Amino acid sequence: MSHPAAESAAAQVEAALARIAATDGRVNAFTAVLADRARARAAAVDADARALPLRGLPFAVKNLFDLQGLATLAGSRIERDAAPAARDAVLVRRLEAAGAVCVGALNMDEYAYGFTTENSHHGPTRNPHDTARISGGSSGGSAAAVAAGQVPLTLGSDTNGSIRVPASLCGVFGLKPSFGRLPRTGSYPFVASLDHLGPFAHDVATLAAAYDALQGPDAEDPAQVPRPPEPTQPQLARGTEGLRIGVLGGWFQAMALPAAREAVARVAAALGATQTVLWPEVDRARTAAFIITNAEGAALHLADLRRRADDFDPLTRDRFLAGALLPAAWVQQSQRVRHWFARQVAAQFAEVDVLIAPATPCTAPAIGTEWLEIAGQKMPARASMGLLTQPVSAIGLPVATVPLWGCDAAAPHLPIGVQLIAAPWREDLCLRVAHALESAGVVKAPVAAA
Amino acid sequence: MDFERYVDAQCELLGLALTPEQRPGVVRYLQLVAGFAPRVMDFALTPADESGNTFVPVEPKP
Repeated sequence: MSHPAAESAAAQVEAALARIAATDGRVNAFTAVLADRARARAAAVDADARALPLRGLPFAVKNLFDLQGLATLAGSRIERDAAPAARDAVLVRRLEAAGAVCVGALNMDEYAYGFTTENSHHGPTRNPHDTARISGGSSGGSAAAVAAGQVPLTLGSDTNGSIRVPASLCGVFGLKPSFGRLPRTGSYPFVASLDHLGPFAHDVATLAAAYDALQGPDAEDPAQVPRPPEPTQPQLARGTEGLRIGVLGGWFQAMALPAAREAVARVAAALGATQTVLWPEVDRARTAAFIITNAEGAALHLADLRRRADDFDPLTRDRFLAGALLPAAWVQQSQRVRHWFARQVAAQFAEVDVLIAPATPCTAPAIGTEWLEIAGQKMPARASMGLLTQPVSAIGLPVATVPLWGCDAAAPHLPIGVQLIAAPWREDLCLRVAHALESAGVVKAPVAAA
Repeated sequence: MDFERYVDAQCELLGLALTPEQRPGVVRYLQLVAGFAPRVMDFALTPADESGNTFVPVEPKP
């Protein structure tokens, strides 16, 4: 880690605040910088003699996490009217209990309904590696803050790809744990039957340390699956020997442009992965997630859609309104398709431990891009950023996203991410493979030039 | 399928009052989703594929 424990919490926090001040004018990752809170917390950490695994590490959170005293915006204008949160979200409390220090809240697509963080209320979060381009979303601020070197650790959420897409486009590490692994208590929901929370970091060691600190039961989240914490750090440096690693073909190759295919090829070569694995009916699974998201997300906001629809972001408003009108049979059938798909994929994990797939079809498009050509079809650019992540989160599998560089011949300065996918509850395998790739120099998350 | 009529009827049922500015985008998006829907609705499943209200990721058998 570049924030060694030997450095005081106060010094680490001051460095983060200075970096935010120097860079956020061009990146626009933060919606709130909590300097007073962070300095007070850092002083408390420095006065604490206990061994703390994340001692002094500055972090920030997507602004759908509750932070005591702040309205939880979830990227909206509407929630500016909400009462301030009475306490921090569970995951924020857990990171601070481990010695980390929260320095602020981060930009996102409104109510997490997007893959670009072109937020009309707060402005777009710009990709730190090329500020004319999107950061990805919906956790765009979370990825950009790490890429810009503002903080080494952030939290985000992932319903259809919202950790993996921005991690890919900003060139940082991200972990979407298994569905039900981490408690969501104190976070603003998007689609309760698909929402996951997880960390971003500048290296795999930090990602694993944070993830281990985040684990544990919380009775207030009915969707959390009761499992004991399963620490990953003891296994992190075990390497990949003995692991059966395959490459996802079919949909995951067809929907990838050349840069994404090159990234997968490099990772496969580094891991000696030659087996191609085909999942059945991926298109149906992706459609199921799309419909569930549209209907469930809209139902959550029905009262505001009735009262004040024009206060929604123009990029989400019509989609939310349309989602409120979907026939219930479509939604129920989508849940059944999802369940069927999960069973098929689970059976395939009898033959393989980790699967490789691209995280995004391409490197970061320019802000405002409306259309992309993928698989010979003209496709809407914003929705298409999730083509390769949506089928995976639909069935709750854990995924580490790792960044590669120089894969896009037309834009060699841009990163692109690869998903490392394992069976449910095997985050340890995702992180082990990510660590092996990082140790071999295949993947890395350098700070963008200021 | 007359999507405009469907949108108007559903909005009345749900108490959504679309403005003239909102209506075309809502109709357009509903048409888009309706175009996708057969990918799930045409998939033959049985009562054994009911998901229940709570989804739990499926572990592979050892």
